[in-house]
Amino acid sequence: MKIKKLMFVTKFEDLGFDAIQALLSMRKASLEHIVFMNVIEREKVAMQRGVGYKKDEAVRMKEAANIRFIDWAERLFEQGMEVGVYIQVGTLAAEVTKAVQKEEADLVVIGRTHKTALEQFYSGSTVTEMIRRVSVPVLVYKPVSDSPFATGQPFERPLLATDWSPASLRGIDYLVNLKGLIEEVEVVHVADQKDIEGTSAMHAQKTRKDTKSRLEELCRRFQDAGIAARSHVYVGDPEEEIEKAARESQATLVVLGSSSKNLWMERWIGSTPRAIAEKSAFPTLLIPPAQK
Amino acid sequence: MAKKVLTVDDDPDVRLFTTTVLEENGYMPVEAGNGEEGLQMIQSEKPDLIILDVLMPRQSGIRLYRELRTNKSLAKVKVIILSGIAKKTFLRSQQALTEFGETAVPEPDFYLEKPVDADVLAETIKKAIG
Repeated sequence: MKIKKLMFVTKFEDLGFDAIQALLSMRKASLEHIVFMNVIEREKVAMQRGVGYKKDEAVRMKEAANIRFIDWAERLFEQGMEVGVYIQVGTLAAEVTKAVQKEEADLVVIGRTHKTALEQFYSGSTVTEMIRRVSVPVLVYKPVSDSPFATGQPFERPLLATDWSPASLRGIDYLVNLKGLIEEVEVVHVADQKDIEGTSAMHAQKTRKDTKSRLEELCRRFQDAGIAARSHVYVGDPEEEIEKAARESQATLVVLGSSSKNLWMERWIGSTPRAIAEKSAFPTLLIPPAQK
Repeated sequence: MAKKVLTVDDDPDVRLFTTTVLEENGYMPVEAGNGEEGLQMIQSEKPDLIILDVLMPRQSGIRLYRELRTNKSLAKVKVIILSGIAKKTFLRSQQALTEFGETAVPEPDFYLEKPVDADVLAETIKKAIG
Protein backbone atom coordinates (compact mmCIF):
# COMPACT_ATOMS: atom_id res chain seq x y z
CA MET A 1 0.00 0.00 0.00
CA LYS A 2 2.85 2.37 -0.74
CA ILE A 3 1.97 5.73 -2.26
CA LYS A 4 4.21 6.06 -5.29
CA LYS A 5 1.82 7.88 -7.56
CA LEU A 6 -0.89 10.33 -6.57
CA MET A 7 -3.58 11.86 -8.71
CA PHE A 8 -4.23 15.50 -7.85
CA VAL A 9 -7.72 16.45 -9.01
CA THR A 10 -8.29 20.19 -9.01
CA LYS A 11 -10.75 22.81 -10.14
CA PHE A 12 -8.06 25.36 -9.16
CA GLU A 13 -10.31 27.31 -6.79
CA ASP A 14 -10.38 24.35 -4.38
CA LEU A 15 -6.80 23.07 -4.56
CA GLY A 16 -3.66 24.90 -5.53
CA PHE A 17 0.09 24.48 -5.57
CA ASP A 18 0.30 25.09 -1.81
CA ALA A 19 -1.49 21.76 -1.32
CA ILE A 20 1.04 20.01 -3.57
CA GLN A 21 3.89 21.51 -1.58
CA ALA A 22 2.37 20.12 1.62
CA LEU A 23 1.99 16.69 0.01
CA LEU A 24 5.57 16.68 -1.24
CA SER A 25 6.62 15.60 2.25
CA MET A 26 5.36 12.18 1.10
CA ARG A 27 8.53 11.86 -0.96
CA LYS A 28 10.19 10.78 2.29
CA ALA A 29 7.88 7.76 2.18
CA SER A 30 7.76 6.70 -1.46
CA LEU A 31 6.02 9.35 -3.57
CA GLU A 32 7.70 9.82 -6.96
CA HIS A 33 4.95 10.70 -9.45
CA ILE A 34 2.15 13.30 -9.38
CA VAL A 35 -0.57 13.33 -12.02
CA PHE A 36 -2.57 16.54 -12.34
CA MET A 37 -6.16 16.30 -13.44
CA ASN A 38 -8.73 18.94 -14.34
CA VAL A 39 -12.21 17.95 -15.47
CA ILE A 40 -14.22 20.56 -17.35
CA GLU A 41 -17.79 19.77 -16.42
CA ARG A 42 -19.74 18.79 -19.48
CA GLU A 43 -22.62 21.15 -18.77
CA LYS A 44 -20.28 24.13 -19.06
CA VAL A 45 -19.60 23.42 -22.73
CA ALA A 46 -22.46 21.07 -23.62
CA MET A 47 -24.77 21.31 -26.59
CA GLN A 48 -27.44 23.94 -25.94
CA ARG A 49 -30.38 25.02 -28.04
CA GLY A 50 -29.36 27.94 -30.27
CA VAL A 51 -25.71 27.76 -29.19
CA GLY A 52 -24.56 24.23 -29.97
CA TYR A 53 -21.41 22.65 -28.54
CA LYS A 54 -19.25 25.46 -27.22
CA LYS A 55 -16.02 24.17 -28.75
CA ASP A 56 -14.20 27.50 -28.43
CA GLU A 57 -15.10 27.66 -24.75
CA ALA A 58 -13.86 24.09 -24.21
CA VAL A 59 -10.56 24.90 -25.96
CA ARG A 60 -10.18 28.11 -23.92
CA MET A 61 -10.80 26.27 -20.63
CA LYS A 62 -8.43 23.43 -21.58
CA GLU A 63 -5.67 25.88 -22.48
CA ALA A 64 -6.18 27.86 -19.25
CA ALA A 65 -5.84 24.62 -17.25
CA ASN A 66 -2.82 23.56 -19.29
CA ILE A 67 -1.01 26.84 -18.59
CA ARG A 68 -1.51 26.35 -14.83
CA PHE A 69 -0.38 22.73 -14.98
CA ILE A 70 2.75 23.55 -17.04
CA ASP A 71 3.78 26.05 -14.36
CA TRP A 72 3.21 23.50 -11.57
CA ALA A 73 4.87 20.72 -13.54
CA GLU A 74 8.00 22.81 -14.15
CA ARG A 75 8.42 23.32 -10.42
CA LEU A 76 8.04 19.59 -9.72
CA PHE A 77 10.20 18.41 -12.63
CA GLU A 78 13.01 20.63 -11.34
CA GLN A 79 12.85 18.70 -8.05
CA GLY A 80 13.24 15.40 -9.89
CA MET A 81 9.56 14.41 -9.62
CA GLU A 82 7.75 12.60 -12.41
CA VAL A 83 4.64 14.53 -13.55
CA GLY A 84 1.66 13.81 -15.80
CA VAL A 85 -1.44 15.74 -16.84
CA TYR A 86 -5.04 14.98 -17.77
CA ILE A 87 -7.48 17.69 -18.89
CA GLN A 88 -10.83 16.17 -19.82
CA VAL A 89 -14.36 17.29 -20.61
CA GLY A 90 -16.91 15.06 -18.85
CA THR A 91 -18.26 14.02 -15.48
CA LEU A 92 -15.80 14.41 -12.65
CA ALA A 93 -16.21 11.04 -10.90
CA ALA A 94 -16.27 9.08 -14.18
CA GLU A 95 -13.22 10.82 -15.66
CA VAL A 96 -11.22 10.51 -12.43
CA THR A 97 -12.05 6.80 -12.21
CA LYS A 98 -10.86 6.21 -15.78
CA ALA A 99 -7.64 8.13 -15.21
CA VAL A 100 -6.91 6.38 -11.89
CA GLN A 101 -7.21 3.02 -13.62
CA LYS A 102 -5.09 4.10 -16.56
CA GLU A 103 -2.38 5.57 -14.38
CA GLU A 104 -2.61 2.92 -11.64
CA ALA A 105 -2.52 5.73 -9.07
CA ASP A 106 -2.19 4.87 -5.37
CA LEU A 107 -4.01 7.89 -3.95
CA VAL A 108 -6.50 10.47 -5.21
CA VAL A 109 -6.38 13.98 -3.74
CA ILE A 110 -9.41 16.20 -4.15
CA GLY A 111 -10.58 19.49 -2.65
CA ARG A 112 -13.67 19.94 -0.58
CA THR A 113 -16.86 20.44 -2.55
CA HIS A 114 -19.00 23.43 -1.72
CA LYS A 115 -22.36 22.09 -2.78
CA THR A 116 -25.36 22.69 -0.54
CA ALA A 117 -27.11 19.72 1.07
CA LEU A 118 -29.93 19.91 -1.47
CA GLU A 119 -27.58 20.00 -4.45
CA GLN A 120 -25.73 17.02 -3.00
CA PHE A 121 -28.92 15.05 -2.67
CA TYR A 122 -29.88 15.56 -6.26
CA SER A 123 -26.51 15.40 -7.94
CA GLY A 124 -24.72 12.99 -5.63
CA SER A 125 -21.75 14.33 -3.74
CA THR A 126 -18.44 14.35 -5.55
CA VAL A 127 -16.73 12.63 -2.64
CA THR A 128 -19.33 9.89 -2.42
CA GLU A 129 -19.27 9.24 -6.13
CA MET A 130 -15.51 9.19 -6.18
CA ILE A 131 -15.22 6.82 -3.22
CA ARG A 132 -17.79 4.50 -4.72
CA ARG A 133 -16.00 4.33 -8.04
CA VAL A 134 -12.28 4.37 -7.29
CA SER A 135 -10.55 1.49 -5.55
CA VAL A 136 -7.80 3.60 -3.98
CA PRO A 137 -7.83 5.89 -0.94
CA VAL A 138 -9.12 9.43 -1.41
CA LEU A 139 -7.63 12.37 0.47
CA VAL A 140 -10.05 15.28 0.79
CA TYR A 141 -7.62 18.11 1.26
CA LYS A 142 -8.65 21.25 3.16
CA PRO A 143 -6.91 24.59 2.75
CA VAL A 144 -4.36 25.29 5.47
CA SER A 145 -6.39 28.27 6.68
CA ASP A 146 -9.39 25.96 7.39
CA SER A 147 -7.47 23.42 9.45
CA PRO A 148 -7.07 24.43 13.08
CA PHE A 149 -3.78 22.66 13.59
CA ALA A 150 -2.37 22.83 10.11
CA THR A 151 1.39 22.47 10.07
CA GLY A 152 1.73 22.09 6.33
CA GLN A 153 2.45 18.40 6.99
CA PRO A 154 -0.89 16.58 6.85
CA PHE A 155 0.55 13.22 7.87
CA GLU A 156 2.35 14.51 10.95
CA ARG A 157 -0.39 13.68 13.51
CA PRO A 158 -3.11 11.57 11.89
CA LEU A 159 -6.17 10.49 13.82
CA LEU A 160 -7.39 7.04 12.81
CA ALA A 161 -11.08 6.68 13.63
CA THR A 162 -12.07 3.03 13.64
CA ASP A 163 -15.47 1.40 13.75
CA TRP A 164 -13.66 -1.98 13.53
CA SER A 165 -14.67 -2.23 9.87
CA PRO A 166 -12.13 -3.90 7.51
CA ALA A 167 -11.71 -0.60 5.65
CA SER A 168 -10.85 1.34 8.80
CA LEU A 169 -8.40 -1.38 9.84
CA ARG A 170 -6.75 -1.16 6.41
CA GLY A 171 -5.95 2.41 7.46
CA ILE A 172 -3.31 0.96 9.78
CA ASP A 173 -1.38 -0.67 6.92
CA TYR A 174 -1.69 2.52 4.96
CA LEU A 175 -0.31 4.72 7.73
CA VAL A 176 2.48 2.29 8.59
CA ASN A 177 3.83 2.84 5.07
CA LEU A 178 4.07 6.56 5.83
CA LYS A 179 6.21 5.95 8.88
CA GLY A 180 8.85 8.57 8.17
CA LEU A 181 6.22 11.31 8.07
CA ILE A 182 4.29 10.51 11.23
CA GLU A 183 5.05 11.90 14.67
CA GLU A 184 2.20 10.14 16.48
CA VAL A 185 -1.08 8.43 15.57
CA GLU A 186 -4.22 8.91 17.65
CA VAL A 187 -6.46 5.83 17.41
CA VAL A 188 -10.08 6.59 18.26
CA HIS A 189 -13.31 4.63 18.55
CA VAL A 190 -16.66 6.32 19.14
CA ALA A 191 -18.90 4.05 21.19
CA ASP A 192 -22.62 4.18 20.66
CA GLN A 193 -24.53 6.03 23.40
CA LYS A 194 -26.96 3.07 23.46
CA ASP A 195 -24.17 0.76 24.63
CA ILE A 196 -23.94 2.55 27.98
CA GLU A 197 -27.44 3.98 28.43
CA GLY A 198 -29.61 2.59 31.25
CA THR A 199 -26.86 0.37 32.58
CA SER A 200 -24.80 0.61 35.73
CA ALA A 201 -21.64 2.67 36.00
CA MET A 202 -19.74 -0.60 36.22
CA HIS A 203 -21.15 -1.76 32.88
CA ALA A 204 -20.28 1.54 31.23
CA GLN A 205 -16.74 1.30 32.57
CA LYS A 206 -16.47 -2.28 31.31
CA THR A 207 -17.56 -1.15 27.84
CA ARG A 208 -14.91 1.55 27.95
CA LYS A 209 -12.24 -0.86 29.18
CA ASP A 210 -13.03 -3.48 26.52
CA THR A 211 -12.96 -0.85 23.78
CA LYS A 212 -9.73 0.62 25.09
CA SER A 213 -8.19 -2.82 25.13
CA ARG A 214 -9.10 -3.40 21.46
CA LEU A 215 -7.69 0.01 20.60
CA GLU A 216 -4.47 -0.77 22.43
CA GLU A 217 -4.04 -3.81 20.18
CA LEU A 218 -4.23 -1.52 17.17
CA CYS A 219 -1.78 0.89 18.80
CA ARG A 220 0.66 -1.97 19.25
CA ARG A 221 0.64 -2.54 15.49
CA PHE A 222 1.83 1.02 15.04
CA GLN A 223 4.34 0.74 17.87
CA ASP A 224 5.75 -2.48 16.41
CA ALA A 225 6.37 -0.52 13.21
CA GLY A 226 8.16 2.20 15.20
CA ILE A 227 5.31 4.73 15.21
CA ALA A 228 4.07 6.27 18.47
CA ALA A 229 0.34 5.71 18.98
CA ARG A 230 -2.25 6.57 21.63
CA SER A 231 -5.80 5.27 22.06
CA HIS A 232 -8.96 7.21 22.93
CA VAL A 233 -12.57 6.19 23.53
CA TYR A 234 -15.36 8.67 22.86
CA VAL A 235 -19.11 8.21 23.23
CA GLY A 236 -21.90 9.74 21.16
CA ASP A 237 -22.51 10.85 17.61
CA PRO A 238 -19.52 9.67 15.52
CA GLU A 239 -19.45 12.72 13.28
CA GLU A 240 -19.34 15.17 16.20
CA GLU A 241 -17.08 13.07 18.40
CA ILE A 242 -14.46 12.41 15.72
CA GLU A 243 -14.25 16.14 15.04
CA LYS A 244 -13.94 16.75 18.79
CA ALA A 245 -11.25 14.06 19.11
CA ALA A 246 -9.31 15.58 16.22
CA ARG A 247 -9.38 19.00 17.87
CA GLU A 248 -8.44 17.69 21.30
CA SER A 249 -5.49 15.73 19.97
CA GLN A 250 -4.46 18.54 17.62
CA ALA A 251 -4.63 16.15 14.69
CA THR A 252 -3.46 17.19 11.24
CA LEU A 253 -5.52 14.56 9.39
CA VAL A 254 -8.54 12.33 10.02
CA VAL A 255 -8.33 8.80 8.58
CA LEU A 256 -11.52 6.78 8.11
CA GLY A 257 -12.61 3.59 6.42
CA SER A 258 -15.14 4.41 3.74
CA SER A 259 -18.58 2.88 3.94
CA SER A 260 -19.74 0.15 1.62
CA LYS A 261 -23.38 1.25 1.84
CA ASN A 262 -25.12 1.56 -1.47
CA LEU A 263 -25.65 5.00 -2.97
CA TRP A 264 -29.36 5.31 -2.19
CA MET A 265 -28.90 4.22 1.39
CA GLU A 266 -26.15 6.79 1.81
CA ARG A 267 -28.34 9.49 0.37
CA TRP A 268 -31.20 8.73 2.75
CA ILE A 269 -29.49 7.91 6.01
CA GLY A 270 -26.16 9.58 5.45
CA SER A 271 -22.62 8.34 5.93
CA THR A 272 -20.19 9.33 8.66
CA PRO A 273 -17.05 9.20 6.46
CA ARG A 274 -18.74 11.27 3.76
CA ALA A 275 -20.08 13.80 6.25
CA ILE A 276 -16.66 14.19 7.89
CA ALA A 277 -14.89 14.42 4.55
CA GLU A 278 -17.18 17.22 3.46
CA LYS A 279 -17.80 19.12 6.69
CA SER A 280 -14.76 18.59 8.90
CA ALA A 281 -12.15 21.31 9.18
CA PHE A 282 -9.49 18.60 8.96
CA PRO A 283 -8.06 17.00 5.82
CA THR A 284 -9.69 13.58 5.58
CA LEU A 285 -8.24 10.37 4.19
CA LEU A 286 -10.89 7.83 3.21
CA ILE A 287 -9.74 4.24 2.88
CA PRO A 288 -11.94 2.00 0.71
CA PRO A 289 -12.77 -1.60 1.57
CA ALA A 290 -10.45 -4.19 -0.02
CA GLN A 291 -11.45 -5.08 -3.57
CA LYS A 292 -13.23 -8.42 -3.88
CA MET B 1 13.09 5.25 -48.87
CA ALA B 2 11.59 8.04 -46.70
CA LYS B 3 13.05 8.46 -43.23
CA LYS B 4 10.72 7.52 -40.41
CA VAL B 5 9.88 10.08 -37.69
CA LEU B 6 7.96 9.21 -34.53
CA THR B 7 5.97 11.93 -32.71
CA VAL B 8 5.27 11.15 -29.05
CA ASP B 9 2.68 13.64 -27.76
CA ASP B 10 -0.63 13.25 -25.92
CA ASP B 11 -2.21 16.18 -27.78
CA PRO B 12 -3.82 14.99 -31.04
CA ASP B 13 -3.64 18.54 -32.46
CA VAL B 14 0.14 18.55 -32.04
CA ARG B 15 0.41 15.09 -33.62
CA LEU B 16 -1.68 16.32 -36.56
CA PHE B 17 0.57 19.36 -36.91
CA THR B 18 3.83 17.41 -36.87
CA THR B 19 2.43 14.70 -39.16
CA THR B 20 1.45 17.36 -41.71
CA VAL B 21 4.88 19.01 -41.54
CA LEU B 22 6.58 15.63 -41.91
CA GLU B 23 4.48 14.50 -44.87
CA GLU B 24 4.93 17.83 -46.65
CA ASN B 25 8.69 17.44 -46.30
CA GLY B 26 8.86 13.85 -47.53
CA TYR B 27 9.23 11.99 -44.23
CA MET B 28 7.21 9.02 -43.02
CA PRO B 29 5.33 9.96 -39.81
CA VAL B 30 4.33 7.56 -37.05
CA GLU B 31 2.77 8.59 -33.75
CA ALA B 32 2.26 7.63 -30.09
CA GLY B 33 0.05 9.23 -27.41
CA ASN B 34 2.25 8.81 -24.32
CA GLY B 35 5.72 7.83 -23.17
CA GLU B 36 4.99 4.15 -22.62
CA GLU B 37 3.36 3.73 -26.01
CA GLY B 38 6.23 5.77 -27.45
CA LEU B 39 8.85 3.36 -26.12
CA GLN B 40 7.01 0.39 -27.63
CA MET B 41 6.80 2.19 -30.99
CA ILE B 42 10.48 3.09 -30.86
CA GLN B 43 11.34 -0.58 -30.43
CA SER B 44 8.94 -1.82 -33.10
CA GLU B 45 9.20 0.99 -35.69
CA LYS B 46 12.88 1.89 -35.24
CA PRO B 47 12.41 5.56 -36.25
CA ASP B 48 15.28 7.73 -37.50
CA LEU B 49 14.08 10.64 -35.38
CA ILE B 50 11.77 11.15 -32.38
CA ILE B 51 9.83 14.33 -31.76
CA LEU B 52 9.13 14.11 -28.04
CA ASP B 53 6.75 16.02 -25.76
CA VAL B 54 7.57 16.28 -22.04
CA LEU B 55 4.29 16.55 -20.08
CA MET B 56 2.25 13.43 -20.89
CA PRO B 57 0.15 10.79 -19.14
CA ARG B 58 1.64 7.47 -17.97
CA GLN B 59 5.27 8.43 -18.57
CA SER B 60 6.76 11.87 -19.15
CA GLY B 61 9.19 12.77 -21.90
CA ILE B 62 11.82 13.33 -19.23
CA ARG B 63 11.67 9.66 -18.24
CA LEU B 64 11.41 8.41 -21.83
CA TYR B 65 14.39 10.52 -22.91
CA ARG B 66 16.35 9.04 -20.00
CA GLU B 67 15.40 5.51 -21.06
CA LEU B 68 16.50 6.22 -24.62
CA ARG B 69 19.84 7.66 -23.66
CA THR B 70 20.67 4.89 -21.19
CA ASN B 71 19.68 2.08 -23.59
CA LYS B 72 22.67 1.13 -25.76
CA SER B 73 20.58 0.16 -28.77
CA LEU B 74 18.54 3.38 -28.70
CA ALA B 75 21.09 5.90 -27.44
CA LYS B 76 22.02 7.07 -30.96
CA VAL B 77 18.44 7.86 -32.13
CA LYS B 78 18.12 11.60 -32.74
CA VAL B 79 15.61 13.43 -30.55
CA ILE B 80 13.87 16.78 -30.86
CA ILE B 81 12.11 17.78 -27.66
CA LEU B 82 8.97 19.77 -28.55
CA SER B 83 7.26 20.95 -25.38
CA GLY B 84 5.56 23.72 -23.43
CA ILE B 85 8.03 22.94 -20.64
CA ALA B 86 11.04 25.27 -20.75
CA LYS B 87 14.41 23.84 -21.79
CA LYS B 88 16.05 24.99 -18.54
CA THR B 89 13.41 23.02 -16.58
CA PHE B 90 14.11 19.91 -18.65
CA LEU B 91 17.84 20.23 -17.99
CA ARG B 92 17.37 20.94 -14.27
CA SER B 93 15.10 17.94 -13.92
CA GLN B 94 17.67 15.67 -15.57
CA GLN B 95 20.29 17.12 -13.27
CA ALA B 96 18.05 16.50 -10.21
CA LEU B 97 17.57 12.86 -11.22
CA THR B 98 21.32 12.48 -11.66
CA GLU B 99 21.81 13.95 -8.18
CA PHE B 100 19.38 11.33 -6.85
CA GLY B 101 21.78 8.67 -8.13
CA GLU B 102 20.51 7.99 -11.65
CA THR B 103 22.87 7.85 -14.64
CA ALA B 104 23.82 11.21 -16.15
CA VAL B 105 22.44 11.71 -19.67
CA PRO B 106 23.53 14.15 -22.40
CA GLU B 107 21.45 17.15 -23.42
CA PRO B 108 18.89 16.54 -26.17
CA ASP B 109 20.07 17.16 -29.75
CA PHE B 110 17.42 19.83 -30.33
CA TYR B 111 14.90 21.59 -28.07
CA LEU B 112 11.91 23.54 -29.35
CA GLU B 113 9.43 25.25 -27.05
CA LYS B 114 5.76 25.21 -28.10
CA PRO B 115 4.26 26.86 -30.03
CA VAL B 116 6.61 26.34 -32.96
CA ASP B 117 6.36 27.48 -36.59
CA ALA B 118 6.07 24.78 -39.26
CA ASP B 119 9.15 26.21 -41.00
CA VAL B 120 11.24 26.08 -37.84
CA LEU B 121 10.17 22.50 -37.16
CA ALA B 122 10.90 21.42 -40.74
CA GLU B 123 14.31 23.07 -40.65
CA THR B 124 15.16 21.41 -37.30
CA ILE B 125 14.12 17.99 -38.64
CA LYS B 126 16.33 18.55 -41.68
CA LYS B 127 19.27 19.49 -39.45
CA ALA B 128 18.70 16.35 -37.39
CA ILE B 129 18.36 13.71 -40.09
CA GLY B 130 18.76 15.45 -43.41
